[in-house]
Amino acid sequence: MLVATYDLWAFVSENRAELLDGLLNTLKVSAFAIVGALFIGLTLGAARAHRIPVVSQLTAVYVEVIRNTPILVQIFLIFYALPQLGILLDQFTVAWLAVMIWGGAFNSENFRAGFEAVSHRHREAGLALGFGRFSTFLNITLPIGGRIALPSSINTYISVVKNTSLMYGIGYAELATTAINISNLTLETKEALTVLGLVYLALVWSLSASIRLLESRLALPESQ
Amino acid sequence: MPDWVEPVARYILEEGLPGTLRVSAIAVTGSALIGVVFGTLLTIRFLPLRGLIRFYIEVFRGLPILVTVFIVYLGLPSISPQLEFTPLTSASIALVLWGSAQVAEATRGAVQSIPRGQHEAASALGFGWVGRHSSVILPQALRRLLPPFVSLLVNIIQNSTLAQVIGGLEILEAGERQSERLTASPPIGIGEIHAAEIFAGVAVLFFLISFPLTRLAATIEKRLI
Repeated sequence: MLVATYDLWAFVSENRAELLDGLLNTLKVSAFAIVGALFIGLTLGAARAHRIPVVSQLTAVYVEVIRNTPILVQIFLIFYALPQLGILLDQFTVAWLAVMIWGGAFNSENFRAGFEAVSHRHREAGLALGFGRFSTFLNITLPIGGRIALPSSINTYISVVKNTSLMYGIGYAELATTAINISNLTLETKEALTVLGLVYLALVWSLSASIRLLESRLALPESQ
Repeated sequence: MPDWVEPVARYILEEGLPGTLRVSAIAVTGSALIGVVFGTLLTIRFLPLRGLIRFYIEVFRGLPILVTVFIVYLGLPSISPQLEFTPLTSASIALVLWGSAQVAEATRGAVQSIPRGQHEAASALGFGWVGRHSSVILPQALRRLLPPFVSLLVNIIQNSTLAQVIGGLEILEAGERQSERLTASPPIGIGEIHAAEIFAGVAVLFFLISFPLTRLAATIEKRLI
């Protein structure tokens, strides 16, 4: 018998502990992946913008491979294929690793564009002041280019958060997996989907609001 | 080449590929049609309509596509049994909801980028709102929409793999079924694990489809500027 009731509050309060665990796992995977993607983006983006041989070409290949294959296939490759090569990873590691590799590729493009947007004159001014190549990057290109890249990189982090839901495919108990599994048992499908929708929209909308806030706060003072 | 490869490749190309292509074709067509209409309507200064379309865009761009897939596949039938769809159809509908939101946003920008004078000239020639947009504004805006359309196509092809999660037979699901089958003992399988080769093959197949399209998008973009 299908029960035609809708009681969101009962669903949430009865499954509060599990749902909170799921949300926590989503946030944990997202945090690990975002920190990793930031690091990958900064280093590889800098390598690309400065045309550092070998690293720059390898980064281009990495970016094209990630951009042109579905992320779900990437997750399956890490989860099902690596064990065959003798590399056993637990679900949590697969989860953050997969979205980090994905986000890192997009982020290195964000930062490459940001660093390349820094005017030559600024860099030359740094060199003229006696800065070496690395300290010119650290003191001039990074603060200016990093700000230019910030909005697009936050957009990538938003996608990272959304993509953690794909861990349903490997059964890792993040929010989506948790909510759908509960609803499979209790048939409270509508309630489970409402919770999923509301939580993800709250996460995504607050992150995009932060872009707008940061954009006005960190906007470069009009030069030229 | 080992014996197991040929039937696996055959299954992925003959059973999986058509599923991916069907979902992608429906999703791209639906997204383009709905998205262009919504995006054009978004430029009208009529607040309630604008608010509704804005909400639609923000919701379906904000939700993870997987959640939209679940809403269509599990949520709609729980409201009415008539709204029950097959996995592939559900994935197509979910991708239309997401894709049309993307297209609407891009269309709004493209329509607003057409100079005011074009609207005025069309009005002066006696075109009403519909005629003005369908004969003068949209043909120009659509040209600017070409690069985002190609990127959308790539995204949709890749996201059609989400049908796998609900058991829809597309490329990834075909690969997953074959990789599972091979682990079974003969005569069904061969009792071996070949997940790495199969999923790598699936990745290569997607790359071969997507890469030329992303190059094309980049070329069109350069030409238009």
